[in-house]
Amino acid sequence: MEHLLESLGRNMFAIFGLLALAGALFMVASKRAVHSVLGFLFAMLCVAGCYISLDAQFLGVAQILVYAGGIVVLFLFVVMLVELTKYKERDIFQNQSRLAIVAVLAGVGAFAAVFRRAFFGAASSDALVLRPELAKGLDVARQNAQAVSRGLFADYLLPFEILSVILLVALVGAVVLAKTERV
Amino acid sequence: MVSLNSVLLISFGLFSIGVAGVLIRRNALVILMCVELMLNAANLNFIAFARHSGSPAGQAFALLVMGFAAAEVAVGLALVVALYRRRDTVQVDDINLLKG
Repeated sequence: MEHLLESLGRNMFAIFGLLALAGALFMVASKRAVHSVLGFLFAMLCVAGCYISLDAQFLGVAQILVYAGGIVVLFLFVVMLVELTKYKERDIFQNQSRLAIVAVLAGVGAFAAVFRRAFFGAASSDALVLRPELAKGLDVARQNAQAVSRGLFADYLLPFEILSVILLVALVGAVVLAKTERV
Repeated sequence: MVSLNSVLLISFGLFSIGVAGVLIRRNALVILMCVELMLNAANLNFIAFARHSGSPAGQAFALLVMGFAAAEVAVGLALVVALYRRRDTVQVDDINLLKG
Protein backbone atom coordinates (compact mmCIF):
# COMPACT_ATOMS: atom_id res chain seq x y z
CA MET A 1 0.00 0.00 0.00
CA GLU A 2 2.76 2.42 0.98
CA HIS A 3 4.70 1.36 -2.04
CA LEU A 4 1.68 2.10 -4.21
CA LEU A 5 1.21 5.54 -2.65
CA GLU A 6 4.89 6.28 -3.09
CA SER A 7 4.84 5.40 -6.78
CA LEU A 8 1.66 7.44 -7.18
CA GLY A 9 3.44 10.44 -5.67
CA ARG A 10 6.41 9.94 -7.93
CA ASN A 11 4.26 9.69 -11.04
CA MET A 12 1.83 12.44 -10.10
CA PHE A 13 2.76 14.54 -13.09
CA ALA A 14 2.31 11.72 -15.60
CA ILE A 15 -1.04 10.69 -14.09
CA PHE A 16 -2.43 14.22 -14.12
CA GLY A 17 -1.04 14.89 -17.57
CA LEU A 18 -2.61 11.80 -19.11
CA LEU A 19 -5.91 12.55 -17.39
CA ALA A 20 -5.75 16.09 -18.80
CA LEU A 21 -5.21 14.68 -22.28
CA ALA A 22 -8.20 12.37 -21.80
CA GLY A 23 -10.38 15.28 -20.66
CA ALA A 24 -9.26 17.37 -23.64
CA LEU A 25 -10.09 14.54 -26.05
CA PHE A 26 -13.51 14.16 -24.45
CA MET A 27 -14.02 17.91 -24.83
CA VAL A 28 -13.26 17.86 -28.55
CA ALA A 29 -15.15 14.66 -29.33
CA SER A 30 -18.36 15.04 -27.34
CA LYS A 31 -21.52 15.98 -29.16
CA ARG A 32 -23.21 18.22 -26.63
CA ALA A 33 -21.75 21.53 -25.51
CA VAL A 34 -22.40 20.84 -21.83
CA HIS A 35 -20.37 17.65 -22.02
CA SER A 36 -17.61 19.62 -23.72
CA VAL A 37 -17.61 22.11 -20.85
CA LEU A 38 -17.39 19.27 -18.34
CA GLY A 39 -14.44 17.78 -20.23
CA PHE A 40 -12.82 21.22 -20.26
CA LEU A 41 -13.33 21.52 -16.49
CA PHE A 42 -11.78 18.11 -15.92
CA ALA A 43 -8.79 18.95 -18.16
CA MET A 44 -8.24 22.26 -16.35
CA LEU A 45 -8.31 20.61 -12.93
CA CYS A 46 -5.80 18.01 -14.11
CA VAL A 47 -3.56 20.76 -15.52
CA ALA A 48 -3.73 22.39 -12.08
CA GLY A 49 -2.52 19.08 -10.64
CA CYS A 50 0.35 19.16 -13.14
CA TYR A 51 1.29 22.68 -11.99
CA ILE A 52 1.33 21.56 -8.36
CA SER A 53 3.50 18.57 -9.17
CA LEU A 54 5.93 20.97 -10.90
CA ASP A 55 6.37 23.02 -7.68
CA ALA A 56 4.05 25.82 -8.78
CA GLN A 57 1.60 25.57 -5.91
CA PHE A 58 0.38 29.14 -6.15
CA LEU A 59 -0.32 28.80 -9.85
CA GLY A 60 -2.10 25.50 -9.34
CA VAL A 61 -4.51 27.07 -6.87
CA ALA A 62 -4.89 30.13 -9.12
CA GLN A 63 -5.67 27.81 -12.01
CA ILE A 64 -8.43 26.11 -10.04
CA LEU A 65 -9.85 29.47 -8.95
CA VAL A 66 -9.69 31.16 -12.35
CA TYR A 67 -10.72 28.26 -14.57
CA ALA A 68 -12.97 26.06 -12.45
CA GLY A 69 -14.37 29.01 -10.54
CA GLY A 70 -14.62 31.63 -13.25
CA ILE A 71 -14.21 30.60 -16.84
CA VAL A 72 -16.11 27.31 -16.71
CA VAL A 73 -19.04 29.04 -14.98
CA LEU A 74 -18.97 31.71 -17.70
CA PHE A 75 -19.04 29.02 -20.38
CA LEU A 76 -21.92 27.26 -18.65
CA PHE A 77 -23.88 30.50 -18.50
CA VAL A 78 -23.44 31.04 -22.23
CA VAL A 79 -24.36 27.41 -22.98
CA MET A 80 -27.51 27.99 -20.96
CA LEU A 81 -28.15 31.31 -22.72
CA VAL A 82 -27.86 30.13 -26.31
CA GLU A 83 -30.17 27.39 -27.46
CA LEU A 84 -27.86 24.62 -28.61
CA THR A 85 -30.20 21.67 -28.60
CA LYS A 86 -31.51 22.32 -32.10
CA TYR A 87 -28.06 21.64 -33.53
CA LYS A 88 -27.78 18.33 -31.75
CA GLU A 89 -28.66 16.17 -34.68
CA ARG A 90 -26.32 17.94 -37.09
CA ASP A 91 -22.78 16.89 -37.77
CA ILE A 92 -20.47 18.36 -35.15
CA PHE A 93 -17.40 18.43 -37.35
CA GLN A 94 -16.58 20.72 -40.26
CA ASN A 95 -16.82 19.55 -43.84
CA GLN A 96 -13.09 20.01 -44.30
CA SER A 97 -12.29 18.01 -41.19
CA ARG A 98 -10.41 15.36 -43.15
CA LEU A 99 -8.06 18.01 -44.50
CA ALA A 100 -7.72 19.47 -41.02
CA ILE A 101 -6.86 16.10 -39.52
CA VAL A 102 -4.22 15.57 -42.20
CA ALA A 103 -2.73 19.00 -41.41
CA VAL A 104 -2.69 18.28 -37.66
CA LEU A 105 -1.12 14.87 -38.24
CA ALA A 106 1.59 16.49 -40.37
CA GLY A 107 2.33 18.89 -37.51
CA VAL A 108 2.38 16.01 -35.05
CA GLY A 109 4.81 14.15 -37.29
CA ALA A 110 7.12 17.16 -37.52
CA PHE A 111 7.15 17.50 -33.75
CA ALA A 112 7.61 13.76 -33.34
CA ALA A 113 10.82 14.00 -35.33
CA VAL A 114 12.04 16.70 -32.94
CA PHE A 115 11.04 14.64 -29.91
CA ARG A 116 12.71 11.56 -31.32
CA ARG A 117 16.00 13.45 -31.40
CA ALA A 118 15.40 14.72 -27.89
CA PHE A 119 14.69 11.25 -26.54
CA PHE A 120 17.12 9.08 -28.46
CA GLY A 121 19.67 11.53 -29.87
CA ALA A 122 22.81 12.93 -28.32
CA ALA A 123 20.83 15.43 -26.24
CA SER A 124 18.89 12.74 -24.39
CA SER A 125 21.16 12.79 -21.34
CA ASP A 126 19.90 13.46 -17.83
CA ALA A 127 20.58 17.19 -18.29
CA LEU A 128 16.91 17.59 -19.09
CA VAL A 129 15.69 16.02 -15.86
CA LEU A 130 14.20 18.67 -13.58
CA ARG A 131 16.68 18.73 -10.72
CA PRO A 132 15.47 19.33 -7.18
CA GLU A 133 18.26 21.73 -6.25
CA LEU A 134 17.10 24.13 -8.93
CA ALA A 135 13.69 24.37 -7.29
CA LYS A 136 15.31 26.37 -4.50
CA GLY A 137 14.98 29.49 -6.61
CA LEU A 138 11.26 28.95 -6.56
CA ASP A 139 11.29 28.50 -2.77
CA VAL A 140 9.24 25.35 -2.86
CA ALA A 141 5.93 25.03 -1.03
CA ARG A 142 6.13 27.63 1.71
CA GLN A 143 7.20 30.70 -0.20
CA ASN A 144 6.15 29.94 -3.75
CA ALA A 145 3.70 32.84 -3.73
CA GLN A 146 6.51 35.12 -2.54
CA ALA A 147 8.76 34.02 -5.36
CA VAL A 148 6.03 34.54 -7.96
CA SER A 149 5.08 37.93 -6.60
CA ARG A 150 8.70 39.04 -6.59
CA GLY A 151 8.89 38.13 -10.23
CA LEU A 152 5.57 39.80 -10.96
CA PHE A 153 5.90 43.03 -9.02
CA ALA A 154 9.64 43.65 -9.15
CA ASP A 155 11.00 42.29 -12.40
CA TYR A 156 7.95 42.33 -14.62
CA LEU A 157 5.88 45.22 -13.34
CA LEU A 158 5.30 46.75 -16.78
CA PRO A 159 3.67 43.63 -18.33
CA PHE A 160 1.54 43.34 -15.22
CA GLU A 161 0.27 46.91 -15.56
CA ILE A 162 -0.32 46.41 -19.29
CA LEU A 163 -2.35 43.32 -18.42
CA SER A 164 -4.52 45.38 -16.11
CA VAL A 165 -5.22 47.81 -18.97
CA ILE A 166 -6.06 44.85 -21.22
CA LEU A 167 -8.48 43.54 -18.61
CA LEU A 168 -10.17 46.94 -18.39
CA VAL A 169 -10.51 47.12 -22.18
CA ALA A 170 -11.89 43.57 -22.26
CA LEU A 171 -14.41 44.44 -19.54
CA VAL A 172 -15.70 47.47 -21.42
CA GLY A 173 -15.62 45.61 -24.73
CA ALA A 174 -17.60 42.67 -23.36
CA VAL A 175 -20.26 45.00 -21.97
CA VAL A 176 -20.52 46.91 -25.27
CA LEU A 177 -20.65 43.72 -27.35
CA ALA A 178 -23.20 41.89 -25.27
CA LYS A 179 -25.61 44.73 -24.54
CA THR A 180 -28.92 44.79 -26.38
CA GLU A 181 -29.66 47.25 -29.15
CA ARG A 182 -32.54 49.07 -27.46
CA VAL A 183 -31.03 51.59 -25.05
CA MET B 1 11.50 12.71 -10.97
CA VAL B 2 9.74 14.53 -13.76
CA SER B 3 11.78 14.87 -16.91
CA LEU B 4 11.45 17.98 -18.99
CA ASN B 5 10.72 15.85 -22.04
CA SER B 6 7.63 14.33 -20.50
CA VAL B 7 6.30 17.78 -19.62
CA LEU B 8 6.93 18.93 -23.18
CA LEU B 9 5.20 15.84 -24.55
CA ILE B 10 2.09 16.33 -22.42
CA SER B 11 1.98 20.01 -23.28
CA PHE B 12 2.42 19.23 -26.97
CA GLY B 13 -0.45 16.75 -26.76
CA LEU B 14 -2.71 19.34 -25.15
CA PHE B 15 -1.73 21.95 -27.75
CA SER B 16 -2.34 19.65 -30.71
CA ILE B 17 -5.72 18.58 -29.33
CA GLY B 18 -6.55 22.28 -29.08
CA VAL B 19 -5.45 22.97 -32.66
CA ALA B 20 -7.42 19.98 -33.91
CA GLY B 21 -10.50 21.16 -32.02
CA VAL B 22 -10.25 24.67 -33.46
CA LEU B 23 -9.89 23.26 -36.96
CA ILE B 24 -12.59 20.59 -36.94
CA ARG B 25 -15.38 21.70 -34.62
CA ARG B 26 -18.33 23.80 -35.77
CA ASN B 27 -19.50 25.11 -32.44
CA ALA B 28 -18.02 28.51 -31.57
CA LEU B 29 -18.15 27.75 -27.84
CA VAL B 30 -16.08 24.59 -28.25
CA ILE B 31 -13.62 26.50 -30.43
CA LEU B 32 -13.16 29.06 -27.63
CA MET B 33 -12.55 26.23 -25.16
CA CYS B 34 -9.93 24.77 -27.47
CA VAL B 35 -8.15 28.14 -27.61
CA GLU B 36 -8.09 28.11 -23.81
CA LEU B 37 -6.61 24.64 -23.93
CA MET B 38 -3.79 25.88 -26.16
CA LEU B 39 -3.04 28.73 -23.75
CA ASN B 40 -2.86 26.19 -20.95
CA ALA B 41 -0.41 24.06 -22.89
CA ALA B 42 1.81 27.12 -23.27
CA ASN B 43 1.47 27.79 -19.55
CA LEU B 44 2.56 24.26 -18.76
CA ASN B 45 5.72 24.88 -20.77
CA PHE B 46 6.35 28.16 -18.95
CA ILE B 47 6.09 26.43 -15.59
CA ALA B 48 8.25 23.50 -16.65
CA PHE B 49 11.00 25.84 -17.82
CA ALA B 50 10.70 27.92 -14.66
CA ARG B 51 11.18 24.70 -12.70
CA HIS B 52 14.09 23.79 -14.94
CA SER B 53 15.90 27.11 -14.65
CA GLY B 54 15.00 27.83 -11.04
CA SER B 55 13.80 31.35 -11.70
CA PRO B 56 10.27 32.53 -10.93
CA ALA B 57 9.99 34.51 -14.19
CA GLY B 58 8.23 31.66 -15.97
CA GLN B 59 5.64 31.34 -13.22
CA ALA B 60 5.04 35.10 -13.23
CA PHE B 61 4.46 35.00 -16.97
CA ALA B 62 2.15 32.00 -16.61
CA LEU B 63 0.07 34.09 -14.22
CA LEU B 64 -0.01 36.92 -16.78
CA VAL B 65 -1.13 34.47 -19.46
CA MET B 66 -3.90 33.28 -17.16
CA GLY B 67 -5.20 36.84 -16.79
CA PHE B 68 -4.97 37.34 -20.52
CA ALA B 69 -6.97 34.14 -21.05
CA ALA B 70 -9.69 35.42 -18.74
CA ALA B 71 -9.94 38.67 -20.73
CA GLU B 72 -10.06 36.73 -23.97
CA VAL B 73 -12.86 34.48 -22.74
CA ALA B 74 -14.91 37.48 -21.64
CA VAL B 75 -14.65 39.13 -25.07
CA GLY B 76 -15.11 35.85 -26.96
CA LEU B 77 -18.23 34.87 -25.07
CA ALA B 78 -19.65 38.37 -25.53
CA LEU B 79 -19.06 37.95 -29.26
CA VAL B 80 -20.81 34.57 -29.21
CA VAL B 81 -23.81 36.04 -27.39
CA ALA B 82 -23.99 39.01 -29.79
CA LEU B 83 -23.73 36.63 -32.73
CA TYR B 84 -26.50 34.45 -31.36
CA ARG B 85 -28.73 37.51 -30.94
CA ARG B 86 -28.11 38.71 -34.48
CA ARG B 87 -27.81 35.56 -36.54
CA ASP B 88 -29.50 33.00 -34.27
CA THR B 89 -26.64 30.55 -34.56
CA VAL B 90 -23.33 29.68 -32.94
CA GLN B 91 -22.15 27.37 -35.71
CA VAL B 92 -19.14 28.93 -37.37
CA ASP B 93 -19.94 27.71 -40.88
CA ASP B 94 -23.26 29.55 -40.79
CA ILE B 95 -21.34 32.80 -40.37
CA ASN B 96 -20.40 33.79 -43.91
CA LEU B 97 -20.95 37.54 -43.99
CA LEU B 98 -17.61 38.14 -45.69
CA LYS B 99 -18.10 35.40 -48.26
CA GLY B 100 -18.18 36.94 -51.74
